[in-house]
Amino acid sequence: MKEKKYSIKKDFTLLALLLIPIAVAINFAGGQLASLLKLPLYLDTIGTIFVAMLCGPWVGGLAGLITNLVLGIANPIFIPFAIVNVTVGLVTGYLARKGMFANWWKWIISMVLMALASIITAAPIVVIMFGGITSSGTSLITATLMATGAGIWGAVISTELVFTVIDRIISFGITFLILRVVPERTLIKFSIGEAYIKTKKDAEPAKEVTEADEDVDNL
Amino acid sequence: MWQEKLRIKKNNSIHGLYPFTKMWITFLYCVCAMVLSTITINGYPVYMMVSFLIIPVLAAATGVLKKISGVMKSIAIISLFIVLLQGILIKSDLILYSLNVFNLFNINFYTDSLQYGLVLAFSVLNMGCMVAWFFGATDNKELINAFEKRGMGPKASYVLLSTLQMIGVLQKSAKTIMSAQQARGVETEGNVFVRSKAFIPSMIPLILGSITNTEERVLTLESKGFLVKGEKTRLFDVKPNGKEPIAMTITIVYVAAIIIWRVLLWVL
Repeated sequence: MKEKKYSIKKDFTLLALLLIPIAVAINFAGGQLASLLKLPLYLDTIGTIFVAMLCGPWVGGLAGLITNLVLGIANPIFIPFAIVNVTVGLVTGYLARKGMFANWWKWIISMVLMALASIITAAPIVVIMFGGITSSGTSLITATLMATGAGIWGAVISTELVFTVIDRIISFGITFLILRVVPERTLIKFSIGEAYIKTKKDAEPAKEVTEADEDVDNL
Repeated sequence: MWQEKLRIKKNNSIHGLYPFTKMWITFLYCVCAMVLSTITINGYPVYMMVSFLIIPVLAAATGVLKKISGVMKSIAIISLFIVLLQGILIKSDLILYSLNVFNLFNINFYTDSLQYGLVLAFSVLNMGCMVAWFFGATDNKELINAFEKRGMGPKASYVLLSTLQMIGVLQKSAKTIMSAQQARGVETEGNVFVRSKAFIPSMIPLILGSITNTEERVLTLESKGFLVKGEKTRLFDVKPNGKEPIAMTITIVYVAAIIIWRVLLWVL
């Protein structure tokens, strides 16, 4: 297979640009659905992960940045956490380019790497800027841990660890399910989209032919 | 749902300032708050706490106090929790006050931690509320138009503006999809696992639908000449209202006074 060359400018095609607002809105809608269903998670990085997996790290990072800036219009507390969302986009994008979503054990490694990157960037913001408190219900767990004698870093990191890992498992699971059902003619238009077509072909090789035939009939 | 505004008329002269002027005021105020946090009386950041009073006054003078009061309240709650968490749970040598609860146990407020907690809480409060004021007093459209005049590309401004529109659209369709799935028998109430399972059939149709729409939007934009290089015409234009020099002078005098005060305290 020939090596693909990437450049930041080429990453931002018109389709990628138009996908950024969608990614941001998906992040919002994910967070909203999570709160409608009263889940104790944010689930607000699905859009960032999705766009990073299709269009690469820079588009993903930008989507993450815009998400938190827009969230910041309503509540400025979210602005410092932009770093976390940008990191999610960058790390996912690079992993996707390296083909780290090709099979199930690579998915798990990627998921662990992603969760680690999130915690490394989030914990310092929570501790240094907000003294251990964030606007979510998980702060109560942090406070309880601290009351039982844990240090502030230990309490924040262990709370973040549990919730971030669960959050990422669900987010990645959803992204995986979506990538399986996105039509191939759409996937091919994205810079990393090809990677997901290959895995689909292995699973169901016959289907593509019939679809192409249908297209000929329609013409 | 989304209505295109071609004119934004503002009679209030602070409200009508050019977006960049308001941005400078916000930034310089935040710098001042940081400087003030280092000037303390007996270890308490009293001046920073007093300077916070400027924000409600400024917001009232701008006429956006009601609009941003909800945000200010939620930031205030977080700040309160920061003070409590730091003051009670981080132990230091000196106990300021010990609260006895029903003769069962004592809740101790530690002096050093409380002071540190107050600095943190009021930094969050000062900066958070000032940024809230900025967005309360500036329409997104004005801000993006001002950036565009400074040389931001039309692609970037399209992405930002359509993001703001898309959020409302997708949030609405998320609710629609969820009620549709409810009608088809997807359980949305019960324990955490049942509710987590309901998340998936709501999220997937939402994302797939929006991707399909995006492809169509690409075709629409290309056919309308979005990628054509050359001068673009705009329907909306933001203009300064003439009060900018006065506003900037007041701000700079305030900043200079605080910085001089800080330096004098170091020197003397």
